[in-house]
Amino acid sequence: MNSHKADSDIFDLIEVDPDKGFRLIVDRYSVRLYWHIRRLVILHEDANDALQNTFINAWRNISNFQSKSALYTWLYAIATNEALALINKRARNSGISLDDLGSWFANSVEGSTWFDGDEAQVKLQNAILKLPEKQRIVFNLKYYEDMTYDDMSRILKTSVGALKASYHHAVKKIENILSAI
Amino acid sequence: MEKIDKINGRNPFKVPDGYFEEVNRNIMSITTGKKVEAKKQGLYLRLRSYIAIAASVAVLAIMTYTGTKLFSPHDETLSLSTITTGLYPEYLLNGIDILTIEEEAILMELPLTEPEIGKKDIIDYLLLENIDINELQEQL
Repeated sequence: MNSHKADSDIFDLIEVDPDKGFRLIVDRYSVRLYWHIRRLVILHEDANDALQNTFINAWRNISNFQSKSALYTWLYAIATNEALALINKRARNSGISLDDLGSWFANSVEGSTWFDGDEAQVKLQNAILKLPEKQRIVFNLKYYEDMTYDDMSRILKTSVGALKASYHHAVKKIENILSAI
Repeated sequence: MEKIDKINGRNPFKVPDGYFEEVNRNIMSITTGKKVEAKKQGLYLRLRSYIAIAASVAVLAIMTYTGTKLFSPHDETLSLSTITTGLYPEYLLNGIDILTIEEEAILMELPLTEPEIGKKDIIDYLLLENIDINELQEQL
């Protein structure tokens, strides 16, 4: 997935009419950002909160945003931070350690009204939830969104080499988990 | 070893119907402060309660105005004693005893406290009326 140079049309519109420009951002990115957040926080209600917080933060800071070519990665970075903040908050409030939170999410997946995956999908989600946080983000962005490592590097502020290694390790771990079931 | 490639990358999660349209409207509402209309044909439905309130207020205002016009005296400088039945439309007077109205008007003009009457006032009154005090005592 390439960086969205087409986003320059949004900034042209924002200069003329900020409200319409921001509406174009919301229309263009809300679905993709929702699914990115949802794969991290699992629950629809949490994803809904994090998505709205993402756009509130984007709206507050849009006037300070300078790099027009990186709107796509900028929004993904905000969304990722919001999702991680929500996960940490949930861990604090429930008294569950971050290491055990994966198991808690795994139980939530199967019982969720908003999950209609088959048995293989349930197994895969449970395996993904056993990954360390950063590997989980990298795996989701690559596996489900086919994001380039360059874009991922801008979002996660991590080198491309480290991201490739992270994805490789994530895939190996998941395959091992699935084969052990 | 099971390869994850065998599991298609289909998204296993789902959202409520119409979720993205709704969340986009919410986001616009809480950021730019401008609500985005869902559908043009839905405008009446969303404004229906406001229209009903506006209509109720309008009807109440008309009734109040009409009532004020009908029941308020046209000349506010008139006192109660100078009001004549001519000021009332005839249909409003049906079933109302005119004398009752006039009596009430007289009563309204009477002082609330009676003046004190002394012995001298009584004697003066009896002399004025040529009443014999002895005859009055015999009757008592």
